[in-house]
Amino acid sequence: MVHVQQGPYGGVLPADHPVGGGPTPDGGEIHAISSGWRLALREFTDNRLAVLGLAVLVFFLLFSFAGPLVYHGNTTISNPLAANLAPGGGHPIGTDENGFDELARMMQGGQAAFEVGAFAALIAIVIGTLYGAISGLVGGFLDGLMMRLVDVLLSIPFLFIVLVLSTKYSGTVVEISIVLGVFSWLIPARLVRGEVLTLRERDFVSAARVMGGSRTRIVTRHLIPNAMSVTIVNITFLIADSMLALAYLGALGFGLSYPRTSWGDMLGGALTYVQNAQWWLVYPVGACLVLVVLACNLVGDALRDALDVRLRRR
Amino acid sequence: MLAYIIRRLGVALLVTAGVAAISYALLHAIAPNPAFVALGDRSSPIAVAAWDKANGFDRPEVVQIVDYVWNIARLHFGYSFKLNQSVGALLKENVGRSAYLSLASLVLALIIAVPLGIAQAVKRNSPGDYAVTTLNFVLYSMPSFFLGIILIQFFALDWHLLPPLVSDQVTSTWAAIIHPKQLLLPVVTLAAIQVASFSRYMRSSALDTLAEDYIRLARAKGLSERVVLMRHLLRNACLPMITLVGLSIPSLLAGNLLIEYIFNYPGLGLMFYTALGTEDYNVMLAYVVLGGMLTVLGNLIADVALTVADPRVRLD
Repeated sequence: MVHVQQGPYGGVLPADHPVGGGPTPDGGEIHAISSGWRLALREFTDNRLAVLGLAVLVFFLLFSFAGPLVYHGNTTISNPLAANLAPGGGHPIGTDENGFDELARMMQGGQAAFEVGAFAALIAIVIGTLYGAISGLVGGFLDGLMMRLVDVLLSIPFLFIVLVLSTKYSGTVVEISIVLGVFSWLIPARLVRGEVLTLRERDFVSAARVMGGSRTRIVTRHLIPNAMSVTIVNITFLIADSMLALAYLGALGFGLSYPRTSWGDMLGGALTYVQNAQWWLVYPVGACLVLVVLACNLVGDALRDALDVRLRRR
Repeated sequence: MLAYIIRRLGVALLVTAGVAAISYALLHAIAPNPAFVALGDRSSPIAVAAWDKANGFDRPEVVQIVDYVWNIARLHFGYSFKLNQSVGALLKENVGRSAYLSLASLVLALIIAVPLGIAQAVKRNSPGDYAVTTLNFVLYSMPSFFLGIILIQFFALDWHLLPPLVSDQVTSTWAAIIHPKQLLLPVVTLAAIQVASFSRYMRSSALDTLAEDYIRLARAKGLSERVVLMRHLLRNACLPMITLVGLSIPSLLAGNLLIEYIFNYPGLGLMFYTALGTEDYNVMLAYVVLGGMLTVLGNLIADVALTVADPRVRLD
């Protein structure tokens, strides 16, 4: 069997474990009675890579948001006398061409990454969940129409359309998050619709309907909460993708407006920096970016495996 | 089979039309009037009105959209008001170099990823498997432009093996082909990003195939491991790669854009990047629509190729 799950930018991630392998009585052993979520949590914490990824994320969250409280560096006033200093002295990671402190800028870049990642993922997941749930529930002609629209939108290359929009809207975290979020809800919508299609045939949904539950109630109280596991896994990938997209936009010069900055903005001049042997302006920032995106992907992978287990044993 | 292809082709055309319409409407929404781009920011309202009338921008938006879709259907991409030439000519000028970069890296990625994935599956959970998996994870999370910078640092600046940027002399596709050294770094960078997802997928597909009965049978009847892998495993495990390659077109295009920008390689991506800066309306639009077309085409070819390659798949 081929399990294809679409990843960032239409790339494809393998699903190592097929979802819903049916009940598996493991040789008659009896599992302690625990909720599915607790099972998932145990599976998650058993995965050392995932715990490592979570630790990296916590570290960078502290670095970005608590760091500036402890470490103060100039990031607002251009100072040619302190420009392009190598690491050392009062600047642990040196300064850039404006004389801004690189370490303090890295903290700012981290803030932008987390804020945009979270906000864009939130927008995408809200739109995607509602759209997918409605589409799956109404079925019929409207469902077909709604899914064809998703097909069309998915055929527009994400980065291209986002770049076009970012020529006008990329100055603030809110703007850039909306641009990214509004074009990232398609995969979640498809996943949630698929989940809803199987859930709507389940007995508890029929029961709710027979008891006279309104459509809104069935969607918000029964379908969406049960489609949550798919959504949760997807959120981490959405965050990683949004962070990468933010980096791409910044590197191409469509980044945040002064005084805010992102890791991608800081890497915009990377080619010049490496040619001038200013390694401190390239590799520390790049490492932050790769580590955080990697951590998100590791956590996402582990969550998918953990929630698969929950589904399998349910 | 033929009916299936025709029906899929019809859907693909409709989706492409949708892509063109939505892209046009979106661009229209954020950049209402290209007249100011063509005539300058301070042009008089009368001149703008006259220009709008001459170029059809005074018509209702719906009419413009339909007209644009109809033009795309005839492969008329409009006119670049900034560069004073037709977008079609611009595309024709640049498409060869971009296609060469994309195809070369796609082929290189497959040549590396397929054997790598199989080797990982055969020697699963070995230190080598873990090392490659880790590397893949890192590459997967690495923005292509950052990987490009790292490779430039080592191969061009530190070791002086390859040029850091593509030389200005590479003006044609043919020049790109006969100067492989110029293109080596961009191709390798783009391929490395693809290898990350390809080999990960190939590994899991090969693992599935290794568990099949026919592999066990092939081994039981005493075939050498080489024959088992080359004749029985490879062909079956590669089937999902057909779908994967088809679906990877968007990421290939996105990578293309970044790589052309970093290495200053004149192709469609660099053309698009320049157009973004100069608000060159039709060039931006053409690139997005072309990307959409290729995405649709990639999916279509992958589906048809899979039905041809795998008789068990009966898509209806």
